[in-house]
Amino acid sequence: MKKILFIILSLAVLTACERKIDEFNASANGLDFSNFVSVGNSLTAGYADGALYTSGQENSIPNIMATQFKTVGGGTFKQPLIGTNDGVGFQPIPGGLYCYTKRVLYYTVDKDCYGNPVVPEIKSIKPGFVSNPDQATLLQQLFAPSTVTGPYNNMGVPGATLQTLFMPGYGSQYGNPYFTRFATSPGTTILADAIAQQPSFFYLWIGNNDVLASALAGTDQMMTPADTFAKYYPMAAGALMASAKKPKGVIANLPYVTSIPFFTTISQKLPWNGVPLDATQAAQLNGLYALQGHPEIVWKAGLNPFVYKKEDGTLAQLQEGDLFLLTLPTDSIKCRGMGIADTTKHPMPYIYPIPGKYVLDKSEQANLKARTDEFNATIYKVATENNLAIADMNGYLKQFASGMVFDGIKMSTAFVSGGLFSTDGVHLNPRGNCVTANFFIQAINSKYGSTIPQANVTNYPGLTFP
Amino acid sequence: MRRFTTLLLFLCLAATTSFGGGYQVGLHSVRNTGMGLIGTSLSNDASSLFYNPGGAAFVSDKWSFSAGVSLIFARGTYQAKDVNYQATIKHELNTPFYFYAAFKPTKNLSIGLAVNTPYGNRLAWNDTEGDDWKGRYLIKDISFKAITYQPTISYKFKNVVGIGVGLVYSTGTVDMNKSIPIQGATGDGTMNVKGSTSNFGFNAGIMVHPDKGWSIGLDYRSKIEMNVKGADATFAVPQSVSDKFPATNKADVMLPLPANLDLGVSYEFGKSNQWMIGLNLCYVFWSTYDSLAFDFQEPVNGATHIATPALYTDQLIVRVGAQYKVSKAITLRAGGYYDPSPVKNDYLNPQTPSLTEIGVTCGLSVTPFKGFSIDAAFLYLMGAKRDGTYSPDNFAGTYRTGFSIPGIGLSYSF
Repeated sequence: MKKILFIILSLAVLTACERKIDEFNASANGLDFSNFVSVGNSLTAGYADGALYTSGQENSIPNIMATQFKTVGGGTFKQPLIGTNDGVGFQPIPGGLYCYTKRVLYYTVDKDCYGNPVVPEIKSIKPGFVSNPDQATLLQQLFAPSTVTGPYNNMGVPGATLQTLFMPGYGSQYGNPYFTRFATSPGTTILADAIAQQPSFFYLWIGNNDVLASALAGTDQMMTPADTFAKYYPMAAGALMASAKKPKGVIANLPYVTSIPFFTTISQKLPWNGVPLDATQAAQLNGLYALQGHPEIVWKAGLNPFVYKKEDGTLAQLQEGDLFLLTLPTDSIKCRGMGIADTTKHPMPYIYPIPGKYVLDKSEQANLKARTDEFNATIYKVATENNLAIADMNGYLKQFASGMVFDGIKMSTAFVSGGLFSTDGVHLNPRGNCVTANFFIQAINSKYGSTIPQANVTNYPGLTFP
Repeated sequence: MRRFTTLLLFLCLAATTSFGGGYQVGLHSVRNTGMGLIGTSLSNDASSLFYNPGGAAFVSDKWSFSAGVSLIFARGTYQAKDVNYQATIKHELNTPFYFYAAFKPTKNLSIGLAVNTPYGNRLAWNDTEGDDWKGRYLIKDISFKAITYQPTISYKFKNVVGIGVGLVYSTGTVDMNKSIPIQGATGDGTMNVKGSTSNFGFNAGIMVHPDKGWSIGLDYRSKIEMNVKGADATFAVPQSVSDKFPATNKADVMLPLPANLDLGVSYEFGKSNQWMIGLNLCYVFWSTYDSLAFDFQEPVNGATHIATPALYTDQLIVRVGAQYKVSKAITLRAGGYYDPSPVKNDYLNPQTPSLTEIGVTCGLSVTPFKGFSIDAAFLYLMGAKRDGTYSPDNFAGTYRTGFSIPGIGLSYSF
């Protein structure tokens, strides 16, 4: 009896041993990832939260890809780390640069437009700078040599456009500080530095700023002409393909910029026709506008659109579908009558249109989209003609507008709560970068028949909530 | 003796199978476990109270008792789709048990009580690297246990037809943890739901002995709606979103225990009915489990009703078993069964990674003196792997699960 029990129990223990886990069958299928070089802009550099900072760079799209490439013979992937986790962002001002840190989320009491806490107290989540260091410190960090020695596999430069890839002096003291800080010489170009590394496989995601920079300025007037793009894009990809190792590579098309939170967030909260008037008020405003030379603006009883100044200097009323930028000074709307009439002026109010730089109207949006389509046609042509892998980032961002789910994490283009974008509403957070890196890997696998493992989305953080 | 144990060993080692059957457990008598879990047409002992109340009246002894426990050594692995990622199910010993007592006041009437654990699910996922596991936003760990108490009455007519019915009272507890993909300084948010409930159902069966050696049984166990009212739902999230996830909330959770319709046929033959073979067809009404739904008292992230679709489908389990009485003291058993998973491929959830299961069993009873036996059984399931996705959460991968289940029981009748 005891013997039998013993046998049964030992059987149980024997068979209860851990099952061997299936191994992931990773294969490069002939691709050479020993020297992977990425070329691009801020999205490639790992720029996020309105600044360049070390952990953002470590979570950059190409670095996440390079980590996956390690399972199929990938080499080290060096990045020009900036050496600060508070980050440095800047904007040009007359005579120099104005610098700031990255933005993180705070949970603070709402204030009215005069800076007083609202009553009753309401707290909400708002992005804000990490700290307020002096300009000298930030400038020093911006131009300090990287904590890593080059050459750098990640040639992503925040602010880069297609043409700046070819621009000598872009890394000089008069160029783009984000390139100046790691260019091999003041006279070099981004492409030259990339090609000198003799990439064995390349990544090129460029052209976003050829549309986005214009959109961020609230206009369609600063876009790169389509024929210029059509001329330079094949040159950029061609230069990489013609480099010493004749590498294969992956490229990506350009998403419609108007679906990013920078352009959708305010518009969801502040209606385009958020000016309720009664007949008397409407008559008063009509009188005011006529008196001040704009009788073409007509106010009516009921809900009226805000007034804004168009690109050509004329005034117009907003239409449904026009977008406010995230930079719109909403306090001025609430307390100073922006979009209607400035009530702080004496002896009488003065017409106060919303400056055009805060509005992307429908015709501007249409032009931005049309130009993006033209650029994308060029990008697809180059991919097809050269047998390059291509990731349809425009298609993915469209899907994110209604939401995509990964491992139970629902991600969308909603600002902060969407879990995809960083606090600047333009760039992705690490989790968003991971998802995007996986789109690139999918494109490579599908084009070249490789089975490079994708990155684990749940291992990359989204925004940190206070 | 040694020869038989060697034979048993071979039987068990030759077995291949997987883990399955949703959250239904089939281990209600160590004797029957040894015979491929059949039992609907059997009336050997007090376990008939559960397997088929119609058979209880055929048990010959005035008093009969049966009790036992199975030790479920579960193992499971997950390999993510397209990602070089593996996880395992943490070993936690599950111990379904049973206790049956039957008394025959007259020759044709039996009354009794069955206590057992026909439903349950308990698992915890472990990242192989020790990090937070990839499926944590779906489930981290779950423990769902139900114990049923079934007072039963059974009556037979002329040793040919027996009918019986039992009132089933089931108690259940649920305790589950998962992560919420909102991160604060200390990492993910978390959710715990913990509660208990009870409800009633019934178990009715009929058994017919049409001819010498033959037995046919039909048993229906009703669905029991385990509606956990006011379970404690505890959330820990960053302060700035705490108003969207009330820290202490209440939730109603509905977990249906599916109905079963079992048909069994068995035949005894040989010198003093030394041999018995049997077949069971068990239809499980799994389609009742269409979602795991939580109804929260306070809205959670804006919603009071949060349901994760399950969309189970009805399944037919086929079981075969045989018994051989070596001597008065020794009885050997063997059997096998096919238990198809009720889960569709695009709803395969790490919460209940149900795989189609083929089980092979063996067992023996030792009877040191008349009426008393020590029963042992071994059920071996080695999971066939299954690729699946839980599409509502886009969580895909390959699961392998398997079980080794030794069981030990005692039966006494007089």
